[in-house]
Amino acid sequence: MSALYLAALLAGIGCMLLLDHRFRLFFWHDPAVATVITVVGTVLFLLWDFAGIAAGIFLRGDSAAATGIVLAPELPLEEPVFLIFLVLCTMVIFTGAVRLLTRARGADHA
Amino acid sequence: MSYPVLALIGVAVALVGGVIAWVFARRAGSAAARHWVAVAITVVVLFALTAVFDSIMIGAGFFSYDPEALAGPLIGLAPIEDFAYPLAGALLLPALWAAFARGGEERVSAFRQFVLSSRPVSWINTAFPFGAAYLMVTREIDWVLVVGFLYFLIPYNLAMYGINDVFDYESDLANPRKGGMEGALLAPRLHRPILWASLLTNAPFIVLLSLAGGPASWVALAVSTFAVIAYSAKGLRFKERPFLDSITSSTHFVIPAVVGLTLAGAEFTGPLVLVLAAFFLWGMAAHAFGAIQDIGPDREAGIHSIATVIGARATARLALVLWALAGVAMLATPWPGPLAAVIAVPYLLNCASSWNVTDANSGSTNVAWRRFIWLNYFSGFLATLILIMEWNLS
Repeated sequence: MSALYLAALLAGIGCMLLLDHRFRLFFWHDPAVATVITVVGTVLFLLWDFAGIAAGIFLRGDSAAATGIVLAPELPLEEPVFLIFLVLCTMVIFTGAVRLLTRARGADHA
Repeated sequence: MSYPVLALIGVAVALVGGVIAWVFARRAGSAAARHWVAVAITVVVLFALTAVFDSIMIGAGFFSYDPEALAGPLIGLAPIEDFAYPLAGALLLPALWAAFARGGEERVSAFRQFVLSSRPVSWINTAFPFGAAYLMVTREIDWVLVVGFLYFLIPYNLAMYGINDVFDYESDLANPRKGGMEGALLAPRLHRPILWASLLTNAPFIVLLSLAGGPASWVALAVSTFAVIAYSAKGLRFKERPFLDSITSSTHFVIPAVVGLTLAGAEFTGPLVLVLAAFFLWGMAAHAFGAIQDIGPDREAGIHSIATVIGARATARLALVLWALAGVAMLATPWPGPLAAVIAVPYLLNCASSWNVTDANSGSTNVAWRRFIWLNYFSGFLATLILIMEWNLS
């Protein structure tokens, strides 16, 4: 049992937020909507997880790199953190891609 | 249900949600093209990341799947159904982002006002009592702890202070203290939105916590919700009823602990009730002391409080007595409870500086009030140490 996986996820979230901050993509672009999307996305993914757990599809592993803390049957503490990371990652890639496309288009016209 | 079916349902839900959001986004022409190209890029990048990192996570043994439930194809170690998660995210979330994209600057400032209105410096004061009470009984982290902690950290404070700021708008205008760390002056155009935001953020949490608990927690949650509304909502305005104001305000901080205890299924023994009583006295003292600085503005606005009714000096001394009683109550609890009596001392010293305060210079107690706000963090630290001792003892 260790906090390695949790630490890696938090580091990943930290890196996404650094990118967000540097290029003002998501939370640093519109904090209200970014908060709503992060909450909605995480909650929907969690419901999906719950459905999978209830159906007996998802099974929690017994990894030495996880904390071993369980929030509910088969739902480790790390899972919601991972889902927050997934939402952030999705939105940073998307908003970053829109930014690059807008720039490219601007360059064509120049 | 098998994983392919579950994955398809997830993607379908995201697709429907995404299309609805897209209709609201009203994007056309090159902006629409750019949106979907960016979504495609997002899907490609996320799929690549999923293939690599999902395989690593499965390889590391963080989770596994019932082999019977899978369709079969794997990419790396990742079952193909796992790619439904990033696909659904990319379909739904950017569409939501686009739907809300209008009104940028104004909303950023509104959001800032919402956050300010919920008093972020005080968030922990309600989340900590819940978390500590729950954890001390169950001794393990579970979803109820996480949900309850988040509830009492943000939505609860948004509702409590948001309702307060809406119904206090008139009197706050006359009070220069509001608008900073100690309170926010909420623009009238945000009154309706903040009440909606309070309702929408509180209701799901209250439902979830009710599902987790039994009748005792339902009573505690009902008291909690009533105290949040009754303190300032028009018609009830407990904050303007002397003594009831201090009692309600203290309830705001003690009830999260009671909710935590009932959810954890705690037995309300004598010592536990004594600890709660001490906490309650502390909260009443805190409210009464805080009301002194507002005597001037409150009287001008025709608002009653414990302090406007019994006067600055009597209120300061009452607060001192209540804090002392809280300390004495802790002395009567089993070890290591008596250590917590020490926590009362800095409050007594801070309050003693106002022993001879008059109604005329009551505004000057703001200095002591600011010290009080920071003192709470120090007390939280001490209380945590004592709880850790208790944890290790039993």
